[in-house]
Amino acid sequence: MNDMRILERDVDAKAIKISAKDVQVFYGDNHAIKDVNVDIQDKTVTAFIGPSGCGKSTFLRCLNRMNDTIDICRVEGDIAIDGEDIYDKRVDPVQLRAKVGMVFQKPNPFPKSIYDNVSYGPRIHGLAKNKAELDVIVEQSLRRAAIWDEVKDRLGAPGTGLSGGQQQRLCIARAVATQPEVLLMDEPCSALDPIATAQVEELIDELRQNYSVVIVTHSMQQAARVSQKTAFFHLGNLVEYGETGTIFTNPEDPRTESYITGRIG
Amino acid sequence: MTDASIPAMPAAPEKGNRVSLMEPDARTQKRKAAERRFRSYGIAGIATGIFFLIVLLISIVSSGAGAFQQTFINASVYLDPVKLDKNGNRDIADLRKVSTFGYTPLIQQAVFDKLEQNNIETPLEKRGDMKALISASAAAQVRDVVLENPDLIGETVDFRILASSRVDGYLKGRVLREDVARDKNIDSEHLDLVDALVPLGIVEKTFNIDFITGADASESRAESAGIGVAMIGSFFMMMVVLVLSLPIGVAASIYLEEFAPKNRWTDLIEVNIANLAAVPSIVFGILGLAVFIQFMHLPQSAPLVGGLVLTLMTLPTIIISTRASLKAVPPSIRDAALGVGASKMQSVFHHVLPLAAPGILTGTIIGLAQALGETAPLLLIGMVGFIASNAPDGVASGLLDPNSAMPAQIYEWAKRADPAFYERAWGGIIILLGFLISMNTLAVILRRRFERRW
Repeated sequence: MNDMRILERDVDAKAIKISAKDVQVFYGDNHAIKDVNVDIQDKTVTAFIGPSGCGKSTFLRCLNRMNDTIDICRVEGDIAIDGEDIYDKRVDPVQLRAKVGMVFQKPNPFPKSIYDNVSYGPRIHGLAKNKAELDVIVEQSLRRAAIWDEVKDRLGAPGTGLSGGQQQRLCIARAVATQPEVLLMDEPCSALDPIATAQVEELIDELRQNYSVVIVTHSMQQAARVSQKTAFFHLGNLVEYGETGTIFTNPEDPRTESYITGRIG
Repeated sequence: MTDASIPAMPAAPEKGNRVSLMEPDARTQKRKAAERRFRSYGIAGIATGIFFLIVLLISIVSSGAGAFQQTFINASVYLDPVKLDKNGNRDIADLRKVSTFGYTPLIQQAVFDKLEQNNIETPLEKRGDMKALISASAAAQVRDVVLENPDLIGETVDFRILASSRVDGYLKGRVLREDVARDKNIDSEHLDLVDALVPLGIVEKTFNIDFITGADASESRAESAGIGVAMIGSFFMMMVVLVLSLPIGVAASIYLEEFAPKNRWTDLIEVNIANLAAVPSIVFGILGLAVFIQFMHLPQSAPLVGGLVLTLMTLPTIIISTRASLKAVPPSIRDAALGVGASKMQSVFHHVLPLAAPGILTGTIIGLAQALGETAPLLLIGMVGFIASNAPDGVASGLLDPNSAMPAQIYEWAKRADPAFYERAWGGIIILLGFLISMNTLAVILRRRFERRW
């Protein structure tokens, strides 16, 4: 992908997948996210950028209710996926997380075989009726994560024995195996070298065909390379949200401009 | 920033004072000396520890090894039908009526005959004088054989009968000739006799399997006391402890660590569990006495009650070690499981628990080893101070019949007057230590085998 093309990116209005309204997040007394309103489109890569501690990861974790696991964390406001409020009492976070997959900052494969890593999700959700179907899902997921050719001969080997980049792609395969609609990625490349990063970025671009991808990144180059939409967070506020090309070339807010040009952060 | 804000450096040493790198300056030498001193303290500490460990092991083995050997007298006992079966019909009920008193003269006669056969000169002229050589258990030993095979009556049968504890002690160097003058149980004529019989193979010292498999015996029969029944008592207690404390402990720690909200109540519970681990074991003993025996009317001295008390004692150990190993599982694994849509329980049972299992296992084994060596609570629930003479038959009897446990048995022996029991106490310690060492080794092996790195 070429930064020169950034302005000519496809900016057609697409269906809105996730819509957040007036989202507030508190960690105890700490007001971590303030009044965030954002509409995330389907089949689009949306990047969250901003300095450390600005709340972008926190907001990402709100989208699949991973913050529920933190006792002192409190979320207010509405977040809807396909118009359904995910913080509704009737919503089971377990079911939600099957729909909204997540890839973490540090590759965290289960200390089990590669096959078991990928098949775990489909197995607990009953997506495969028998071993043959499961095999198909595992292969598809590994192919989609562009790691099939590297591991197809050693599916029984432990996932923790792979290299860092391979582990992260394995985690992506694991996330797509449950056939989610949204894929959340929390700095997926921060522990990877440039070659592995390039592979994962290529992968993200391919995943856009099927999913709505939300990626948190510290690297503005990465946001520019992979995303169509970018949101800039600062001190818990969503400062600016728009086309990636616009944000990087012609930001409205002076804070965004300062961050992009390296003056704050 | 300007240079003015930096405090002035102390004057640099002058060029002429430069110390060569080849010879260390005074400061370096001082630091090196301090380091050497610290290392020598450490080595001295470890050496002291190893020295005491060696002294302990040597004293245990040298004092206890004798318990694994026992002196026997090989004699051919004529099972006189006139004495043993007056009616001559070999009726088992009639045979039972003859107590051990009926057998004693026969055995004494058998030993006396051996002297005559081998032309041994002795001032002891009566068969009754042989009493001091023979264990009080010998008659029971012969009687048991006869009751099992009544057909033997009328025949002369070779027996390996137990020698008295004084004879045993003499051969093991515990009873000395100088001491015999003050001893009412044996005199120097008998010791002369023993000296004469040993080369003939009539009196011999051999490995004593009965010490490991046998039951305890009364105060006057140290030579026939064994730790086997107490071992069975310990085994049943350990089963109770394992069956109760492992599931309860693991379930409690999983709940506290993974599910329970962090609030004042769980903090309180946590503090109390930590404190319970430090409560003296005798407190658990008296609690067991009050609750299990006086309130719930469970049988006294039963391994079931012992196991319940030891379960209470082991639970905190297991909970603390289980929680520690659950905590050691990286949170990223939990995130990963939740991230693919596993429920909390699935994430715990599919991913966290298998990773914590080696730690839980070692904690459990170490808790069990602790419980195996525990004596104080058993004193209070009556698992000590009587003679567990029969091995239990079946699980129910093993759990509910009065029994002792290994450490309680050792304590009991150590209390008794006869020095032969002192030797057996040390022998019991060797067996107990053997169990503890093998359990701890198992714990280490399990940890090594199943420990996973990520």
